[in-house]
Amino acid sequence: MKGFSFDLTVSIITGIFMCLIILPVFALFTETSFEELIKQFKSPLVLSAIVISLKTSLIVVLVSLLLGIPAAYLLATKQFKGKEILDTLVDLPICMPPLVAGLALLILFGGSSRFGSFFISNGIDIIFSTKGIIIAQVFVSAPFLIKSTRSAFESIDKNVTNVSLTLGASKFYTFRKVLIPLAKNGIYAGIVMTWARALGEFGATSMVAGCIPGKTETMTVAVYQNAMSGKMNSSIAIALLLIIFSFTSLLIFKSRVRAQTGPV
Amino acid sequence: MSVVLEKISKSYNSLPALANLDLEVKKGEFHVLLGPSGSGKTTVISIIAGLTKQDKGAVIIGDCNVNDLPPEKRSVGFVFQDYAQFPHLSVFENVAYGLRVRKVKEKEIIQKVDCYLSKVGIEKERNKFPHQLSGGQKQRVALARALITEPEILLMDEPMSNLDVLTKEKIESELKKIQKETGVTTVYVTHNQDEAFALGDRVSVLNNGMIEQIESPDELFYHPKTEFVANFVGAKNILNVRVIESDQNTVVAQVNNKNLNNPLKIMLKKYPIFKTVNEINLCIHPENIFIKKENNCVKKSINKIKGKIIYTENNTSVTKATIDIGGINLYAAIPKKLFNFKLYETVFVCFNMDAPHPLCGKGCRDIEAHRKCVNKNNKME
Repeated sequence: MKGFSFDLTVSIITGIFMCLIILPVFALFTETSFEELIKQFKSPLVLSAIVISLKTSLIVVLVSLLLGIPAAYLLATKQFKGKEILDTLVDLPICMPPLVAGLALLILFGGSSRFGSFFISNGIDIIFSTKGIIIAQVFVSAPFLIKSTRSAFESIDKNVTNVSLTLGASKFYTFRKVLIPLAKNGIYAGIVMTWARALGEFGATSMVAGCIPGKTETMTVAVYQNAMSGKMNSSIAIALLLIIFSFTSLLIFKSRVRAQTGPV
Repeated sequence: MSVVLEKISKSYNSLPALANLDLEVKKGEFHVLLGPSGSGKTTVISIIAGLTKQDKGAVIIGDCNVNDLPPEKRSVGFVFQDYAQFPHLSVFENVAYGLRVRKVKEKEIIQKVDCYLSKVGIEKERNKFPHQLSGGQKQRVALARALITEPEILLMDEPMSNLDVLTKEKIESELKKIQKETGVTTVYVTHNQDEAFALGDRVSVLNNGMIEQIESPDELFYHPKTEFVANFVGAKNILNVRVIESDQNTVVAQVNNKNLNNPLKIMLKKYPIFKTVNEINLCIHPENIFIKKENNCVKKSINKIKGKIIYTENNTSVTKATIDIGGINLYAAIPKKLFNFKLYETVFVCFNMDAPHPLCGKGCRDIEAHRKCVNKNNKME
């Protein structure tokens, strides 16, 4: 009987939590109609926000993979002086308020810094451009990929790497043929989290790239801009699309991992 | 190829794991490193493989100093305790891995993998994945994978510690057979003396990062040099004695043990070591001890000690008896059919004067070996 009460209590608490997630999402759906959604998706500004977001977030995932996997490998497998500091630096963007991150990037790439001037003098505009969106989103979301991939590398039996080396494989061959395949679920999880984080990024992106409709206005920025300017229907349409994207990608990822390893 | 380790030292976080260790493994030899956990066995083979870098000393494989060679260039095969199989690859691909690294042609890979899978008796499992295999099958896969690249040296780190007794015995004999067939120089790490004695051509006993003794299994068992080796190889009845009388052929020694109720003297052969040493540890192997009901030990059994059987244990062929001889215990192993004593029965423990061995190795006991050793030392001087 005691066990039943415990199970019931846990179920009720979980139910309350689920309500906290479901009710706001449901509220969005009740505020619009299917016809209105279709109409909004045909609007050029909404469409351009979707395209910019999808394009930049996919590039962010690719850049994060390129920069993040070596960093994750280094942190997972090597011992070196300053590792603790590097590890903390990797985690810093997760704890840093996005607006602060945006401000830092704005100063770094702005015309008043030497670094920014160098880019500008070479014809590379980062501030108020899609490049700025990508840099801001990589800054904020790549740590998720690094953390997830690092855990995956750490969970691989060290002797599996050693046996590959004793069989004559180089470190790079071992990395490609053993470590990456064994860490793939961690990498997939990192990709999903990085992509979702990039898609939902607002603070840093708006600071660095601004909110220029059709140029730097991402979906999240468009949700804010439209809501603030009273265009609630556009705002709701884009918000719902963001939710559908996130939910679907998580669902696909989970079912893929479950098919390989059992329940997640 | 032979393997020579010269003055190898290794510390982990300033805790020494190996200290000036010298070891020579002959070409084609099955060499066992035997020792308790933490004695440095795994560190030794990791250093040979190049997976661990020694702080000092040289690793020589064949004629080459391989100190600066990475593991992939050392031509070693390694079988790990947990088998370390690639979980994402099938049995076939696990075994084929080393060949794929070497870019061997597909046709040759198929032929060779099938050959090695049948050699270790798992050809039917070729398409399974590691998680679908039993411990014994995983062991065979690991062995086939290590051997397929025809390494100069095969290193094995407690590969049978996770196997049941029956599988272990079966694999032991197969492993020995394959090692003889291939002639690969093998260094095998274990903490199990039965395994070491069953497999090794020679056995090195490690203690605290140092080799205490290197001998053939029989030599090691019957001629342990130190108390640690004697204890570790399962030799029982270690007594510390002080020589109190001696003539041309025999010595009378008193057992030093505070627990003894009465002074205990034993008679033993006069070994060359007694010329220089007065106090020493002796070992009496349990199978050299007889038990009699009356004080009628056979003639040559000179030593007779009264005692009481306090514990017996049967295995398939012998009964192991623990006899309290007045404050300390002696252990006897009597053929089961001849053991007709009851627990707590008063008996006489008998052993002849050849039975106690001084714990100092063959050189100090065998007159001929002692002579050779002295001559050699004189020449060196």
